[in-house]
Amino acid sequence: MSTERSSPVISGALGALPLFIPAIPFAFVFGVVVANAGIPEWLGWSSSPIIFGGAIQVTLFTLIGEGASVAAAVSAALVVGARHMLYSVALAPQFQNQPTWFRWVGPYVLIDQVFVLSQLNPIKNPDTFRRYFLAAGFTFWSLWMLFTAIGVVLGPAIPASWGVEFAAPVLFVSLMMAASNRPDKIGAALLAMIMTLLFADLPNRAGLLVAVLISVLIMLLITRRGQP
Amino acid sequence: MILTAIILTGIGSYLMRVFFIFALARYQFPPIMLQALEYVAPTVMAALVVSLLTTPNGELVAGVPEIVGLVGTAIVAKVSGNHILALLTGMTTFWLVGWIV
Repeated sequence: MSTERSSPVISGALGALPLFIPAIPFAFVFGVVVANAGIPEWLGWSSSPIIFGGAIQVTLFTLIGEGASVAAAVSAALVVGARHMLYSVALAPQFQNQPTWFRWVGPYVLIDQVFVLSQLNPIKNPDTFRRYFLAAGFTFWSLWMLFTAIGVVLGPAIPASWGVEFAAPVLFVSLMMAASNRPDKIGAALLAMIMTLLFADLPNRAGLLVAVLISVLIMLLITRRGQP
Repeated sequence: MILTAIILTGIGSYLMRVFFIFALARYQFPPIMLQALEYVAPTVMAALVVSLLTTPNGELVAGVPEIVGLVGTAIVAKVSGNHILALLTGMTTFWLVGWIV
């Protein structure tokens, strides 16, 4: 009985570990972004437990550092996090026969890697799924708390000439390709790149939002043409 | 001000993650909405890449090392599906090309 209980926990934690490796330089990038924005280390780090989403945290502090308004920075950060709604949709069936407390706690650790893990290993048993999901999620959570703490302290000490901050667009390109698993999605991504460039001079980085909305609308118009 | 921004973003990002877990038990979303949501991830990632490579005035600040690094990343990410490998490729080509150019 104890083995059955502990095995999804162990496999969840072990599944999370290799996927965390790309997040380590990202935690240092996060530290650099916090320092560049002139935000105290503890305040920057507090976003790790409060927000728990690397790209969202980096976007928020990048825009604050660039002098964007709170409203613009928050909305842009939330647009970056909007993909979590998809994860929420995709995981809804597996959460239907779960206790209410897990429906509230689980989404807190629902990040890209945890979502990918839960899709790679579809678990039918509700209890096993819950333990696996929480183990993977809170393994990421613990490591992210630790490495962003190291990142805000050591990140700024890494010489700028190394160009470590370039890991941010590199990671987003990698995530973009992972998210573009269909030709129309690659088309949507390319369209969004062009649109973002066209609207890049809008104040407070509003161009990002405008570009995404326009690109999605155009893709819907193109793909829906001639369909019943 | 900054703490307000962090807390607002925290509440917003949590609500986005929790919303459909509860809402989808009752509502069925039309296909066009689901398709629109599918484009959010690739378009936002793409927009963010370009956004990171432009100044707030809209000027593109990517040179040859950046472009080569990101194209390399995209190819390796597509072919291997491995984030670690893509990250290593992107950073290595960026450093190498930057050192040569």
